[in-house]
Amino acid sequence: MKHDTSAFSRRRFLQGTAAGAGVLAAPAIISKGALASSGELNFTGWAGYPLFQEKIFPTFEAATGIKVNFKELPDQDTMFAEAKVALEAGGIDVIEPTIDRWGGWNSNGLLQPWDESKLAMDNYLPGLADGAAGERSRADGKLFYVPSNWGTEALVVNEAEAKLSDPPSLGDLFNPENSAVLRPHSTLAAMGRWLDAQGKLPRPWMDGYTDMAAMTELWDIALAEAIKAKGNVVQWWSGENEANAGFTANGATIGLCWDSTGFNLRNDGYKYIAPVEGAFAWHQGLVLMKNAKNIEQAHEFAKWASTPEGSALWATAFSSNPVGKGSGEFMDPAVSEYYNGTFNDEALNKLWWWPEQSAEFIAKRTEYADKYKAA
Amino acid sequence: MQDLLRRYGPGLTFMMGLLVAFWLLMLVIVPNITLFEQSFRPYLPVTEIGGPRDTYSLNNYLKVFDGKVEKSFLGHVFTIPVHVYTFSLTIFYSMLVTVICFLMAYPLAYYLAKIVNPKSLPTLLLLLFIPLWVSEVLRAFAWWIILAFKGPLNALLQGIGLIEDPIRWTNMGYAGVVIGLVYTYVLFMLFPVYNAIQSLDSNQIEAAEDLGAPWWKIHWRIVLPHAKPGIASGSVMVFMLSAGSLLVPSILGSTTSQWFTQTIDQWFKDALDWNTASAYAFLLLLVCTLFVTLAMWVFRVKLSDIAK
Repeated sequence: MKHDTSAFSRRRFLQGTAAGAGVLAAPAIISKGALASSGELNFTGWAGYPLFQEKIFPTFEAATGIKVNFKELPDQDTMFAEAKVALEAGGIDVIEPTIDRWGGWNSNGLLQPWDESKLAMDNYLPGLADGAAGERSRADGKLFYVPSNWGTEALVVNEAEAKLSDPPSLGDLFNPENSAVLRPHSTLAAMGRWLDAQGKLPRPWMDGYTDMAAMTELWDIALAEAIKAKGNVVQWWSGENEANAGFTANGATIGLCWDSTGFNLRNDGYKYIAPVEGAFAWHQGLVLMKNAKNIEQAHEFAKWASTPEGSALWATAFSSNPVGKGSGEFMDPAVSEYYNGTFNDEALNKLWWWPEQSAEFIAKRTEYADKYKAA
Repeated sequence: MQDLLRRYGPGLTFMMGLLVAFWLLMLVIVPNITLFEQSFRPYLPVTEIGGPRDTYSLNNYLKVFDGKVEKSFLGHVFTIPVHVYTFSLTIFYSMLVTVICFLMAYPLAYYLAKIVNPKSLPTLLLLLFIPLWVSEVLRAFAWWIILAFKGPLNALLQGIGLIEDPIRWTNMGYAGVVIGLVYTYVLFMLFPVYNAIQSLDSNQIEAAEDLGAPWWKIHWRIVLPHAKPGIASGSVMVFMLSAGSLLVPSILGSTTSQWFTQTIDQWFKDALDWNTASAYAFLLLLVCTLFVTLAMWVFRVKLSDIAK
């Protein structure tokens, strides 16, 4: 799941529709479950990840005695719409949006802050619930959002052939001696962040995400620079297969790709490296509804999601990374070794979280990507 | 209809009619009308759909004129909206594909229709058909593999000493796309042309030869005019299929090529703006239809000729 590109997919939609049909038939079962001993929790999350029903909720229930009533929804717009209804009608305690979205939910009056004393904030890996991500999890000093899993987009490099600066930087993507496999819109963001890190931009790159005038000003610069360096791009990618083939069949030596690409190529002489500017990253997490009924249970749930076992299961369900310390023993060892090879504590602290990108922003971003491709 | 009734009885005929009606209505007409209606409405958050901002307008269609880029052609520098630029190139390269398909298909069609021994014709047709049975995805990927930097073509050329360093075939503008489209759609040109030439009376060719016409004149004055409806229907098919292809340009495209269908695809999948994507899709359909109508008028082909 890569939220920055497609929060919505046909498959998710279909699965969501199917799940919706299931939910319609559910009330009988749910009201029976309400008699259970340690209470219940109404959780609204992502459709299409069967491990939740198969493993996560049963494990959670075995550990705490709390029964989870799960409502699967295909995308965040629908979650938001459901939450608005639930504000009147009730029925939702916890929802799982991405970090860039909950601000809008909060300004619509949907959320209440978590009680940190009932959570275990020490459970989280550094950089995920503190630092830049921690700031973005709070409003008015109150904690509204706790992470549940995360993923990255960083440098995949051919260890033998790629020319890297020391330390490796996003700028290496634009080095004419490297052949690069890229996807247009994140490349423009990489160019912007690289220029920003060198102090070559008239204003911070982040301004572009909140102010459309700043966006065009900054993206015009990034586009012009990226077009100058376009000669070393040998292929675009938009999905996992293309990225992989760009390296293996088309001989690219460097790329800005998802962690899964680096993972799949790890035994073929490629390495996944976090650039000095910080890897691109997304994360999603749990928020508490303003009119939540089962507040104690919700805190239990969020706390459990940060434990080694809970966070490992969560990451496995989404094929992403765990947020909790010590989750390695519950993960596939090859996966843990791979991530630890890329992200030490410093790299974790430097993660650059994709900011909120409005519909207007994304439309404009698509236009810039078009111009970049057509150049 | 009478035949159907007589053969299958009223019950089965009714079922068939119902199924066809369902197919047309639910799988073709309703989705298209839905998209058409969507294309005039703005892309809004779920909560604002049906709200005061949800009004009809042409804004989605006009977005094609946004985002100017500077281009030069024959030393003349001009600015053009990036999507119009993409669109023009799509039309241009689709025409190129059509012409190349014709140049490849015409001699082959003539050979099959007039020269080859009728006994070996079924074998030859079968050989031509076999690639058509393979999925378009596989054929496009096959070409991608052939043209890849570390692929067999470079290995072969290096092996026989023709080139020293491997060549990036997949990164030469629209070359990969044109190769892929020609390979995918050439048969759609071949068979209509073959059918048309086949219906030509061979005596006419012999008569022309007897009267001393050179070979090129026989083709120019006799075979080509007779084959015109076949060429026209082949061209329409190849052109429309090429301009509307998403798969081949996505797989075989280079870092500088962009097909208009890819732009539509981006609106759907990157921008999640299905409304603008629908508008662009209808734009493509409309302009291509106009273009084909114009081309048919220029070449004096009537729709009824093609239907033959």
